[in-house]
Amino acid sequence: MKIAIIDYDAGNLRSVANALDLLQIEYFIAKQANDLEAADKIILPGVGAAGSAMQKLISSGFAEAIKQTKKPLLGICLGLQLFADFSEEENTDCLGIIPEKVKLFPPFLKTPQMGWNQVNFTNKSPLFEEIPDASYFYFVHSYYLPTSKYTLAQTDYGITFSSVVQKDNFYATQFHPEKSGELGLKLLSNFCKLC
Amino acid sequence: MLIIPAIDLLNGRCVRLTKGDYASEKIYAENPTQQALAFAQQGAAMIHIVDLDGAKAGKPCNQAVILAIRKSLEIPMQVGGGIRTLSAAQFYLENGIERIIIGTKALEDLDFLNRLIAQFSAKRIVVGMDLREGKVATQGWLKTSDQGYREFLQDLKKVGVSELVVTDIEKDGMLTEPNYALMEEISKLGFNVVASGGVSSLPALQKLKALNVFGAIIGKALYEEKITLKNALRITAKNTLTKRIIPCLDVKNGRTVKGINFENLRDAGDPVALGKYYAEEGADELVFLDITASKEKRKTVKELVSRVAQEIFIPFTVGGGIETTEDIRELLQAGADKISINTIAVKNPKLITEGAKAFGSQCMVVAIDVKKIGDTYKVFIKGGSEETTWEAIAWAKEVEKLGAGEILLTSMDRDGTKAGYDIELLQQITAAVNIPVIASGGAGSQEDLLAGLREGNADAVLAASIFHFKKYTIREVKQFLSSHNLPIRI
Repeated sequence: MKIAIIDYDAGNLRSVANALDLLQIEYFIAKQANDLEAADKIILPGVGAAGSAMQKLISSGFAEAIKQTKKPLLGICLGLQLFADFSEEENTDCLGIIPEKVKLFPPFLKTPQMGWNQVNFTNKSPLFEEIPDASYFYFVHSYYLPTSKYTLAQTDYGITFSSVVQKDNFYATQFHPEKSGELGLKLLSNFCKLC
Repeated sequence: MLIIPAIDLLNGRCVRLTKGDYASEKIYAENPTQQALAFAQQGAAMIHIVDLDGAKAGKPCNQAVILAIRKSLEIPMQVGGGIRTLSAAQFYLENGIERIIIGTKALEDLDFLNRLIAQFSAKRIVVGMDLREGKVATQGWLKTSDQGYREFLQDLKKVGVSELVVTDIEKDGMLTEPNYALMEEISKLGFNVVASGGVSSLPALQKLKALNVFGAIIGKALYEEKITLKNALRITAKNTLTKRIIPCLDVKNGRTVKGINFENLRDAGDPVALGKYYAEEGADELVFLDITASKEKRKTVKELVSRVAQEIFIPFTVGGGIETTEDIRELLQAGADKISINTIAVKNPKLITEGAKAFGSQCMVVAIDVKKIGDTYKVFIKGGSEETTWEAIAWAKEVEKLGAGEILLTSMDRDGTKAGYDIELLQQITAAVNIPVIASGGAGSQEDLLAGLREGNADAVLAASIFHFKKYTIREVKQFLSSHNLPIRI
């Protein structure tokens, strides 16, 4: 089994790769869309702004390949937000996998939300195997995806938002599993075990 | 708890009355739509609108104004005042008003409530119960009925009412205290109670929240600036984000400095081994501060970052000697989550903006070293050896504007003294900016960490010696802070 990590210049690739190294899971860095053909599963990492990320995904052909794929795909942080129809960040049209709108946290909250917060499961998922409900994971973000029927877990930061979502073969976490210690690694390993 | 800012309409304008007396009208805004939008922009999740003309006349009088607000606003609205017929109720509910408030009519005609609930669901039909000396008041509070509220509540239960706005007229517009006992009593009967009248301070909101009251309407206190909506929303919101405990490791030529002896750690001089130990102990993040002076510096830092990223799976920040966006890029690509800059941020503030643009604000930490000169907190650079012209609050606001995602605030007066953080400085900076602030400099005990987080409002505390010299383990510190009701990841 091989995991493709999509490289579209949007950061924390190294950390995800390091985590997979530790878990002894085979992976490669996908630099162009047709690289994904060789993969069994795909990870879409992401740090940075929605606008430039979408531009890069579109110009590289990754955007179309992601929308078409039937392989399990895990979006991380910005990767989750790109699943939406639209993001208020730079007023960006996103991948349109989940019909929701990504919003900026209201001004009464500090932005970015930075630190460890509780992830409350709202649905069962093989991603949560051996992870207790209400465990802490590490978040860094200023925008959020509202809860919807695709929400697997939610988190309270003044606003209750989607911290884990799934639609068909598309999974995503708003937090960084690669930076959330043991339980984060567990979640990554659970994703890699999905059939 | 839901915070609902109020707009009371009289002749199409936003006013407040005192104790429901129409002669006491005070105009706060000519354009209620602008007022509603301002509340929504600040983060309100619902707006409360009362048609005062309607309450008095017994029929809606400000529908045009209310629908104009509805058109411009994205958040839900609840509307009350003069809704005494099915057609008046339907008009609002079918035109996008989320919840309507039935007052007088509820008292007169329970069947009316019954029919509305059947048609629109209990969540959308709110009974406005206005009390004067324990009796239910009606018709714009101009009259008081003979009915006691307990008896009335029993009737409401029977017809399926779940939502209430409870106003103690004696308290309304008086900027005093809400009637806590009353709100608690009714909440315990199983109603979603929105408290109204006299809610005028942050402690009052905290108390209502602690009593599990569903929501609170705030009116006059906002207009009179007794409280800000921002603070009201912040203290009542459900927020489970934890405070962070961050050990700081000073690194010179690839080795940690400051003598330490850890029994179960073979080489405490190895920053990676020490960092790993702290991560396993429960550290929420790590900071590596490189103080190497040699030409080899950049290479050794990069190597260190790579090793840390391979072995430690919690976030870490690297600081020391970063001067260009290229330096930042190298460290982030090697696996650092954030970088910290200090002197260069003052010398070349553009670097903050460039870094934030290229890599995101979340990885740009600006370290600010502060010393009190006379009555003023001044910013120092070059390891504290050079005073700048910047005053600390102004500089903190500036770095936020430039794109910093976090501030690492060190009190030079306290650093190394073990006398505790400079709480006054922390309070001023945390109040001035809307990005996280890490407290540093002066922590000598667990109580100091507690004070920095609780009194100083810091989002995280950074400490070196109390961990390095094993005064406490991180685990002990976190237990201690948690036992004092701070949100801590354990």
